[in-house]
Amino acid sequence: MKLNRKENKGFVLSLRSRLLLVIVAAFTLVATSIIQYIYSQRGIKHEASLRAEGELNSAENKIMDVVNQTEAAVRNSIWVAQWCLENPDSLKRIPQRVVSENPVVVGSTIALVPGYSQKYPLYAPYAARDMETGIIKMLSLATKEYDYPSMEWFTKPLESGESYWSEPYFDENGGDMLMVTFSMPVKDNNGDVAAILTADISLDWLTEFIGDIKIYPNAFCMVVSRNGQIMVCPVDTLVMKKTVNQFARESSDREALDCVNKAMLSGESGEMLVRYKRKNNHVYFAPVERTGWSLSIVLPEKELYKGVRRIGLLVNVLQILGLAMIIVILRIVTRNQIRYQQLYEQKERIENEIHIAREIQMSMIPKTFPPFPERKDLDLAASVIPAKEVGGDLYDFFIREEKLFFCIGDVSGKGVPASLVMAVTRSLFRAMSAHETSPARIVTSMNNSISETNENNMFVTFFCGVLDLTTGQLRYCNAGHNPPLILTDAIRELSVVPNLPLGIISDMKFVEQDILLQYDDALFLYTDGLSEAENSSHEQFGESRIKTALHGRKSSENHLKNIEHSVSLFVDKAPQSDDLTMLFIHYLGGNPVSTYHLTLHNDIKQIALLPDFVDTIAKRIELDHETASNLNLALEEAITNVIMYAYPEGTDGVVNIDATVDGKNVSVVIADNGIAFDPTAKEEIDITAGIDERPIGGLGIHLVRTIMDNVNYERKEEKNILTITKNYA
Amino acid sequence: MEVNVSRENNEITVQFSGRMDTPGAMDITPQMNALAEEADKTIILDCTDLTYISSSGLRIFVTLRKAADEKGGKIIIRNICNEIRNVFMMTGFLNLFEIQ
Repeated sequence: MKLNRKENKGFVLSLRSRLLLVIVAAFTLVATSIIQYIYSQRGIKHEASLRAEGELNSAENKIMDVVNQTEAAVRNSIWVAQWCLENPDSLKRIPQRVVSENPVVVGSTIALVPGYSQKYPLYAPYAARDMETGIIKMLSLATKEYDYPSMEWFTKPLESGESYWSEPYFDENGGDMLMVTFSMPVKDNNGDVAAILTADISLDWLTEFIGDIKIYPNAFCMVVSRNGQIMVCPVDTLVMKKTVNQFARESSDREALDCVNKAMLSGESGEMLVRYKRKNNHVYFAPVERTGWSLSIVLPEKELYKGVRRIGLLVNVLQILGLAMIIVILRIVTRNQIRYQQLYEQKERIENEIHIAREIQMSMIPKTFPPFPERKDLDLAASVIPAKEVGGDLYDFFIREEKLFFCIGDVSGKGVPASLVMAVTRSLFRAMSAHETSPARIVTSMNNSISETNENNMFVTFFCGVLDLTTGQLRYCNAGHNPPLILTDAIRELSVVPNLPLGIISDMKFVEQDILLQYDDALFLYTDGLSEAENSSHEQFGESRIKTALHGRKSSENHLKNIEHSVSLFVDKAPQSDDLTMLFIHYLGGNPVSTYHLTLHNDIKQIALLPDFVDTIAKRIELDHETASNLNLALEEAITNVIMYAYPEGTDGVVNIDATVDGKNVSVVIADNGIAFDPTAKEEIDITAGIDERPIGGLGIHLVRTIMDNVNYERKEEKNILTITKNYA
Repeated sequence: MEVNVSRENNEITVQFSGRMDTPGAMDITPQMNALAEEADKTIILDCTDLTYISSSGLRIFVTLRKAADEKGGKIIIRNICNEIRNVFMMTGFLNLFEIQ
C-alpha cells in the first residue's frame, strides 16, 4: 500500500514544476526561433550582398564598355581634328563620322575656341542621331540660344587641357535629350587648345539597362554623378532634379545617408544600411572609373527578409500551436492524475484507519512468544498473517487456575464490519471465560450476546477449548469452525460436533466434547485462510498439505514457521485473499507415559534384536548416544543371564521385555517362565582386584547395577521378574 | 562381528570390528582360545572398529590377559572408543590392561 502510494506520487507533477516545464518549453521555442531567424537573416544578407556585388560588377563593366567606346570614338578623331584645324569648314565631317561610326554616340560636336578662327568667331557643327529614324542631322551649336562657350563640356576641358566627362544635363537647343558628354581638347601645333571634340551619350540607354537590374522585386538601381546628381532612378521625377545631398537632408537618418553620399561621391565601393522614410534599406555601391559616377543598388530590408519572415512566422505559429497542445495534454493528464490520486489517498486513508483499528484490536491479544516461558508443560505459538483487505480472524488464550483457555475464530465477510465484530467477539470471550470453565457455556453466552445485537447478519465460526494442564483433559466446543488437527502418534482431525457459528440463532444449544491429551500430544487450530490459500492456478493449499507440513518433531514456533514457509512456497505470487491464523498447542504436562514391548526366545542370537528396540526408546526420550549404549548393555546383560541360566539348554521359553518411559525414568521389566534365578543374589565383584584375583564371570550383573539406578528381582507366579530403572531426565 | 588376525615377528595383531555382544563374543571364542595358546608373545587387540562390548567380550579379554600372565606374553589394547572406555571404567579394566 505504502509502496504504491510513493509510485503514484512520482507521476504527479507539482504546479511549480509544471509551470517551470511550460516556461522552459516556451523559452526554448523562442530561443530556437531567434537563433533560426538570426542565422537565416545572416545567410540571406550575405547572399544579397554577393548578388549585389555581382550585379554592380557586371553593370559597371557594361557602363565601362560604353564609356570606353565613347572615349575611343573621340580620341581616334583627335588627330583628324588637329589636321583639319586650318580649314574650319572641313571640321564638320568629324562629328558626323563620330556619330555615324559609333552607335553608342548620339551626338558629337567639334567646338572651336572662340576667336581661334578668323572666319568663324563661334563655330560648333553638331551631328545628332535622330533616335527614331537613325538619320544623322547636322546642326550648329554656334547659336545665341545655345551659347556653347559657357557649357560645362566646353569650359572644363578648355581650362584643364584634359579630357572630361560632363555632369548629366538636358541639352536644350542641342541634342534635346538627357545626356552626358565626353569632351577632349584638340590642340594646335603650338600646343594651345584650339577646339573641343565631344561625343554625347544619352542617359536613356543607361536608364533602360539599369532598370533591367532587378535582384529583388522592389530593389532598384541608381546612378549618381560625381556631384551627387541623380542620373538614373526608378522615380523619373527625381532624375536631374535632386542631388543625393538634398535627400540626405530630408531623410530621417541623415547621418547614414551622409555617409553613403560621402562614400559614393568619393568613389568608394561598399555596403551600408540607410534608414529612409522609417524603412531600412541596404545600399550597395561601386564607382564607375573615370566618369566619377557611382552605381548603387538600393534594397529595402523588408524586401530582403520577406521570405525569411514568412517562414519564421510559419515556424513560430507551428511552435506556439505545439506548445499549446503540450500544455493542454499536460493539463488533462495531470488533472486525471490528481483526481485519481485524491481518490487513492482517500481510499488509503480509510484503509490505514482500519488497519490502525485492527492493530489496536490485535494488540489486545497475546503476541509475545513463547507466552509462558516458565511453564515446562506447555509450548504454545500463534500467528496471524493479515490479508491486504482487513479481515476478521482472531485467536486468544490465557491461563487461569492451571487451565489453558484458548479460542480461534473467523468472522464472516471482510472489511470494517468484520473487524468490528472480531473485536466484540474477543472481548466477549475474555468476559465470558473470566468466571466460566465450561467451553459450551462460554460459547453459548457469547452466541446469545452476538445474536442479540447482530443486525448485519454477520456470524463467527469459533472454536473454544479449556485444557486442564495438570490432567491433560481438554474440554472443547466448536461453533461452526473447521475441526482442529490433533497430533499424537499420527495426525488426524479432532472429532467435533459442528454446531452452528456464533450469531445465527440465539438460545442455541452448543455441544461440549472432551478428550484426554497425553504428554507430547499437540493441537493445531487454524482458519480457512490456511486451508483455502490459493496459488495462481486457483488450487487450494488443503488439509493434506497442512498434515504433511506438520510432520516431524519441532517446537510450536517452528511448526508455525514451517507451515508459513510451505504456504508461501505454494501460493507463490498469488495475492493473499484472507487472513491466515494459526494456533499450535503442544501439551507437555501430565505423565508422559509410553510403553514398549519386545518378546525374545531363549536363543542367545536374539540379543541382536536389542539395539533396534533400545534405539526406538532412545529416540523417543532423546537419550544421548552414551546413555543409549549403556541402556543397551544393561539390557543385554540382564537378558543374557535369563537365557543362560533360567532356561537350561534344550528348553523352550520366551523373555518378555516391557519398557515404560514416563518423562523421567525408563523402567524395563524382564519377565520369563524359567527356573527361579535371582541375578541380584550374586556377590558383587571387586573391580579394583588385580588380574590374578579376577573371576571370569560376574561382570554382567555388575554392569547392570552400575548402569541402572534401580535393580529389583522378584519371583511371582512362577515367573522371574527383574525390574531395572534408569533416571534419564 | 569380525576378527582379523595378523602376525609379524613376535607380535600378533587382532583387529576387531562390529559389535562384540554376547552372540558376537560366542562366535569368536574358539578363535580366541587358540590365540591364548600363543600368549607368550605380544598380542595387540586393535579396537579401532569395535563399537560395542558386553561382559562376554570382556571375559575374552580377561582370559587372554590371564594366559599372557601365565606364558610371559603381553596384551596391549589399542584405540578404544568412548563407549567402550566407559565400560572399561565401570569394570576396572582400565587398570588391568595396557591401553594405547
